[in-house]
Amino acid sequence: MITLRGATLLLVLGVLAGCAQREQGLFVVLPNPDGTSGAITVSEGQDSVLLDHPYAAEEVEGDHLEETTSNSAQVQQVFGSALAAQPILPAHFRLYFLKDRDLMTTESQQQYRNVFADIKRRPVYQVEVIGYTDTLGEQSHNQQLSLRRAATLRDELVRDGLNPDSIIIAGRGELDPAVPTGPQVAEPRNRRVEITVR
Amino acid sequence: MLTQFKVFWPSLAIGSCMLATMAIAAATPAASPSLQIAQIKTVSGKVKVERGTAQTSPKPGDPLFEKDTVVTGADGSVGITFVDNTVMSAGPNSEIALEQFKFDSNNFNGSMLTELRKGTLAVVSGDIARSSPGAMKVRTPAATLGVRGTRFVAEATGDP
Repeated sequence: MITLRGATLLLVLGVLAGCAQREQGLFVVLPNPDGTSGAITVSEGQDSVLLDHPYAAEEVEGDHLEETTSNSAQVQQVFGSALAAQPILPAHFRLYFLKDRDLMTTESQQQYRNVFADIKRRPVYQVEVIGYTDTLGEQSHNQQLSLRRAATLRDELVRDGLNPDSIIIAGRGELDPAVPTGPQVAEPRNRRVEITVR
Repeated sequence: MLTQFKVFWPSLAIGSCMLATMAIAAATPAASPSLQIAQIKTVSGKVKVERGTAQTSPKPGDPLFEKDTVVTGADGSVGITFVDNTVMSAGPNSEIALEQFKFDSNNFNGSMLTELRKGTLAVVSGDIARSSPGAMKVRTPAATLGVRGTRFVAEATGDP
């Protein structure tokens, strides 16, 4: 009997210790630079809560969820190191080309400097360059032209000193227009490369 | 330029050109444990990457793969960017397992499950969360998060 009580006591102590160590979490939605935010759902067992505005927060302890509001000071205190380690965010660019050429417009040649500068400010980088055309001419010709446009940009980046292994290119021809048109339509906004830098 | 972001990336998803599909598929890692899913961007203090039974000290530029676990020490922090442009960074005493990552750069469909076993994590979601709300999940010991295109932070403590 004493042994059984002892075992029960140990069991109770064990459960208490488990409670003291039970899992905790803090989750906070952060504002975008423009002050808006997206949303996250926080789920624990059958409970689920939607956090859909800046600094909407959820504290979880064991199976208990509590909705709160955080602020920039608390976020900085708890997550300062994580936020300080955040890489430079990916950036997207679009450069335009002359009709049926793999030569950039004068304006885009100037804009190219911004693309190059954005890549250079990153300690390490990966670049995707995807070429497109308008619908003038044959599809097969445009497929080749779109790839040449992407290759032209890659070659220029490499000539300016970037690592070719960190740049991938592709051509998507006329089938993926920025501005949808009918066939055989000259559309300067579709003669382009789109660049993702991360 | 970030203002263009929402305008022109969906247009990329519309195309169905086979050649381009193949070129992109060859160029952008998608869905295999042997393909790169992310790149280490920042490292500070003590950071380890566990890959199977191997453990390495990563440096900026190193690739990460599905199933890798990233661990930071008491003075450590790390930042990584995924191929779908999701950005994550972790503070000290953190453990983040890249449990699952699938991404098709042609249509931005994909799914990812990241496990924050302990520590602090800051996230700016990317193409997966934008194209399929809920397809990006972060699991912690206390709760599971579904991400609908946003910036957020998560802390996990009292891990068993």
